[in-house]
Amino acid sequence: MSGTLKHLPADELLAYWLGETDAAATDLVDAHLLQCDACGRALDELVALGAGVRDAFRAGTVAAFTSGAFVRRATSQGLRIREYRLPHNGSANCSVAPDDDLLVSRLEVPLAGVQRLDAVAENSLEPGVRHELHDLPFVPGTDEVTSIVNAAAVKAWPEHELWLTLVAVAPGGERRELGRYTFRHRPWPGQAGA
Amino acid sequence: MDGPEASRAAPAVPVPGTAGEAPPPAAAPAARAVPTPSESPAPQGAALPPEMADSPEARAARRIAAAAPGRAPEAEAELYRLLAPRVRRYGQRHLRDGHAAADLAQQVLVLTLEQLRSGRLREPERVLSFVLGACRLTVTDLRRGERRREDLLQRHADAVSVADIHVAPRLDHGRVADCLARLPERERAVIVMTFYDDQPSETVGRELGLTAGHVRVIRHRGIEKLRRCVLGDAGAGAAGEP
Repeated sequence: MSGTLKHLPADELLAYWLGETDAAATDLVDAHLLQCDACGRALDELVALGAGVRDAFRAGTVAAFTSGAFVRRATSQGLRIREYRLPHNGSANCSVAPDDDLLVSRLEVPLAGVQRLDAVAENSLEPGVRHELHDLPFVPGTDEVTSIVNAAAVKAWPEHELWLTLVAVAPGGERRELGRYTFRHRPWPGQAGA
Repeated sequence: MDGPEASRAAPAVPVPGTAGEAPPPAAAPAARAVPTPSESPAPQGAALPPEMADSPEARAARRIAAAAPGRAPEAEAELYRLLAPRVRRYGQRHLRDGHAAADLAQQVLVLTLEQLRSGRLREPERVLSFVLGACRLTVTDLRRGERRREDLLQRHADAVSVADIHVAPRLDHGRVADCLARLPERERAVIVMTFYDDQPSETVGRELGLTAGHVRVIRHRGIEKLRRCVLGDAGAGAAGEP
C-alpha cells in the first residue's frame, strides 16, 4: 500500500517524536503513519534506539560531558547521583556506592574565551597511557565543566588515582592548559576491588 | 471468505453486541459520538488521500461491511493486523505511554469494527480516515482525565481479546553503551541529553548553550553513527528510506 507514498525522512520522524513539529506538521505525520508501515517501522527503530540510549544511561554505563542543567534534570526524575565538585586545579577523595545510578564531577575552570576544549585523562592503573578527549561540550559563559562518569565501570575498579587535564585549543591549534584535577578513588567498602 | 466455513470461526476481535459476546455494561457511559468519514473525516488536521480507497484496509473494511455482523472474521483479523500497530504508534506519540497506547489501539479498533459491522460507517473504503478521527477524539478524551480513560477501558474490557500488537524490541543496552562510547564527545552528549527523557532540540540547546539548529545537526550525525553501530548495515540509512 505504500508504493505510491513518499516516505518521510528520519529527521522529520524524529522531530515528530520529540514534539518539535508544529500542530499542522504533526497532523500530517499522524496521517502519513496511519497508512505507511515502512515509515512506521522506521519510527519504531528510532524510538527503540532512543530507549536503548536511555537504558544504557540509567544503568550508569555511559560517560559524557554534559551540563549542570542536565544533571538537575536527571536528578529531578529520581536518579541517584553522587556528585563531586572540584575547585580549579583541585582534588577529591571519591567513591561510588552500590546503589548510585550516576557519578558526576563538576570542575571549576576558567573558560572565558575558550572556543574548543580538550582533555587528557591518565590513571595509576595504566601508567604512561594517555586518553585524549576532543572537543568537549561546555556551556559558554560558565566556568564549569560537568562530567558524567561511567559509574558501572568505576564500581568495579580498585583503589587508584585519576588525573584529568583540561586544555583549551585555539583555532590555530595552539594548546593551553586550563586546569588539572586529581581523583583519588577508593572502592565502596565491601564492594569489588575493595 | 464469508462462506459457511468462515462464518463458523470465532470472530478475531470480539465486538460488543454480536452473537456470543457480552453487550456493553448497562452502566457504561454512552459511546462518544465518533464522526464517520462522510460526516467529518477528522475533527482537525490532515485528512487521508482518496487513493487509499483501494488499499488493503479499504478492501477488508468493505468485506466486513458487506457481510452479516460478525461473519467476516478473516477480514476483521486482517484489518486488525494492519491497523493495530499504527494506532499503537499514534498512541505512543501522543500519550507517551506504552500501556495507554495499547489500550488506545484496542478501543479504536473495537469501535471501528463495531461501526463497520453495524453499517454505520457508510463509506468503508474510507476506514483510515475514520480511524484517524477516532484516534484523535479518543486521545483528547484520555487527556481529559484518567477517570475517563478508566471508563473507556471498563466499557471495552470484556469485549476485546488480547491484542498482538507489534512493539519494537528493546535493544541490548550494553551494545548501545559500547556504540555510544565510540561517538565524538559532543554527539554523545547531545544523544544522551535528547533521549534520556525525549527532549526537543530547544531544551538540549538551552542546557548546552547551543542553538536548536546546531543541536539538530549534531543529533543527526550522532544518530546515523549510532544506528550503524548498533544495528549494523541493516540500520544504515534505513529510517525514513524504507
